[in-house]
Amino acid sequence: MTLALILHDWRMLERIVGLTHRLGCSYKSVEVHARDDHLYHATIEFAGPPEQLRRLDTQLNRLLEDDKEMAR
Amino acid sequence: MSDPAGSTGAQLILDILADEGVDIVFGYPGGAVMPLYDKLYGHSIRHILTRHEQAASFAAGGYARSTGRVGVCFATSGPGATNLITGLLDAQMDSVPLIAITGQVRTPLMGTDAFQEADVTSIAGPATKRAICVRDVAALEQTLRAAFRLARGPRPGAVLVDVPQDVLKAVCPPFDPARSPRTTAAASTRADAEALDATIELILRAQRPIAIVGGGARIAGATHLFREFCAMLEIPHTATINGLGCAAPGDPRFLGMVGMHGWKAANLAVNESDLVLALGMRFDDRVTGKPDRFARGATIVHADVDASEFGKVIAPAVALRGDLRYTLAQLVQRLAELPSRPSFAAWADHAKSLGPPPPPDRTPDDTLSATEVLDRFFAHVSDDAIVSTDVGQHQMWAAQRHRATHPRNFLTSAGLGAMGFGLPAAIGAQFAFPNRPVTAIVGDGGFQMSFAELATIARYELPVKILLIDNRRLGMVRQWQELFYERRYSATDLSDNPDFVAIARAYGIHGESIEDAGSLESALQRLLAEDGSALLHCACYPDENVWPLIPAGTSVAEMLEERPIDDAVVPA
Repeated sequence: MTLALILHDWRMLERIVGLTHRLGCSYKSVEVHARDDHLYHATIEFAGPPEQLRRLDTQLNRLLEDDKEMAR
Repeated sequence: MSDPAGSTGAQLILDILADEGVDIVFGYPGGAVMPLYDKLYGHSIRHILTRHEQAASFAAGGYARSTGRVGVCFATSGPGATNLITGLLDAQMDSVPLIAITGQVRTPLMGTDAFQEADVTSIAGPATKRAICVRDVAALEQTLRAAFRLARGPRPGAVLVDVPQDVLKAVCPPFDPARSPRTTAAASTRADAEALDATIELILRAQRPIAIVGGGARIAGATHLFREFCAMLEIPHTATINGLGCAAPGDPRFLGMVGMHGWKAANLAVNESDLVLALGMRFDDRVTGKPDRFARGATIVHADVDASEFGKVIAPAVALRGDLRYTLAQLVQRLAELPSRPSFAAWADHAKSLGPPPPPDRTPDDTLSATEVLDRFFAHVSDDAIVSTDVGQHQMWAAQRHRATHPRNFLTSAGLGAMGFGLPAAIGAQFAFPNRPVTAIVGDGGFQMSFAELATIARYELPVKILLIDNRRLGMVRQWQELFYERRYSATDLSDNPDFVAIARAYGIHGESIEDAGSLESALQRLLAEDGSALLHCACYPDENVWPLIPAGTSVAEMLEERPIDDAVVPA
């Protein structure tokens, strides 16, 4: 599963790493680019059982919604 | 008030808290957070000094749970901040709006293992919605406003704002409410019409529907709509522990709590149902048991404000994403517009007949039964009373027995199950509602994790009542050791408990102890009649178990309702 994520705070990566590990998934690649001081584009290829990847996807959405709300 | 010529980070924090409607904070001072406490001196925001930071976070949680307002707690850096974590996670797990503001070592010292330094934002990250360190006073206002917005919802939770001491001291422009207006919770999404229509279709086709309500109804302020919805359909309904109090008082179609220690009828009815309407609940493992055996014959409709809950445990046929108040209002409206509405009264009667209320355990005649204590206690509880519990057997007995009239009247650490919660949560609720009766029901294990807060009760002359169920055991663990670990009672014996009445009296709190049922009624009356705080210590039978019990990871088919007959006499 490859996701293109927009982070308003690069420290969200720490949360993503923790959540991925917690759901028994891992990474194939992580690429992050700063667009400006307040916006980061991350492309992350996750690996793991499909059901866990689906859960990870929905939980990441919630995490990133909070990130967006915090930056609003 | 801030100095118009200039302000500081600490002053700005208090100005924003006040602007956000905060009039009380719970906390404990220390070195790094001293500039904030200095500005608090003489401030209109009331600070409540607890005896431990964890209690401050639980008290703020109790305040928030009972009011729906954001609870706020303060602590210093390092150990002060880390001591808040359990309370933060408790709030996060039960979707309680809570903000923690922690002092941090000065920015030049960060990362040097300075005295009382902890990377608390990393530690608190997974325990909160967000944990943010503000390194620049210019970002403080925006961060605090965002913290309030995030804590409030749509799904509330915990936020930690960590502020280094030099940022607290830094000079900044004075607070100007016009610059960043007070926040409100972010707007909720609303369930789409198609999903609402599909839900109505499923209700019309159902023979045996059941509604399960969770804490989401409390958060959304949808209790009255839930009651209306159930009444319109005469539908049997049950509640998760966080949904207790949502059912209309006296509604005969309420089947009691569902789940591991839920009512037999509730669990069997869910199992027999052909449609589960899951309203603001999250299919916790304590509710579902083994998920693939949960309500196997039922279509699932799941209403929640948080999309990440859909399919996290149980995949719904219909997902109603959005504010539950809106969802229920729409369902009620659609039902009202039907030419004829179905009634599930007959099915509800059958559901009710599927099992009796949770049975008491067999206890010797000359002992005091915890369930009898609680049955008698709840008979005295008024409609406006707030009851908190700690965690363990007494929590489950209370959840089985208490018919709270509103979900904000029953405070319990449900998702996290944090022992030590009960007493400080009651303190928080009593500050919120000084004129309402507040009782903390605690066990001997959990009480010993927080009884230093008797000092807080005494200092502020809070009339909190404490009902202490003392079985001289870590009872729930002991019960599992008895049932699932071949009675190897490892580290659950508390038979050397202290004299709790003497402890209460040492804090200037009235205490009384009973050990037989004959004394119970009059002792309860005296407890509740006390003007100030009082503790009733109930020395209960040590081996009383909570029934029924669906063992973890199993299903309703494996429900245990009593000890196996050959185990009727159980060694202490």
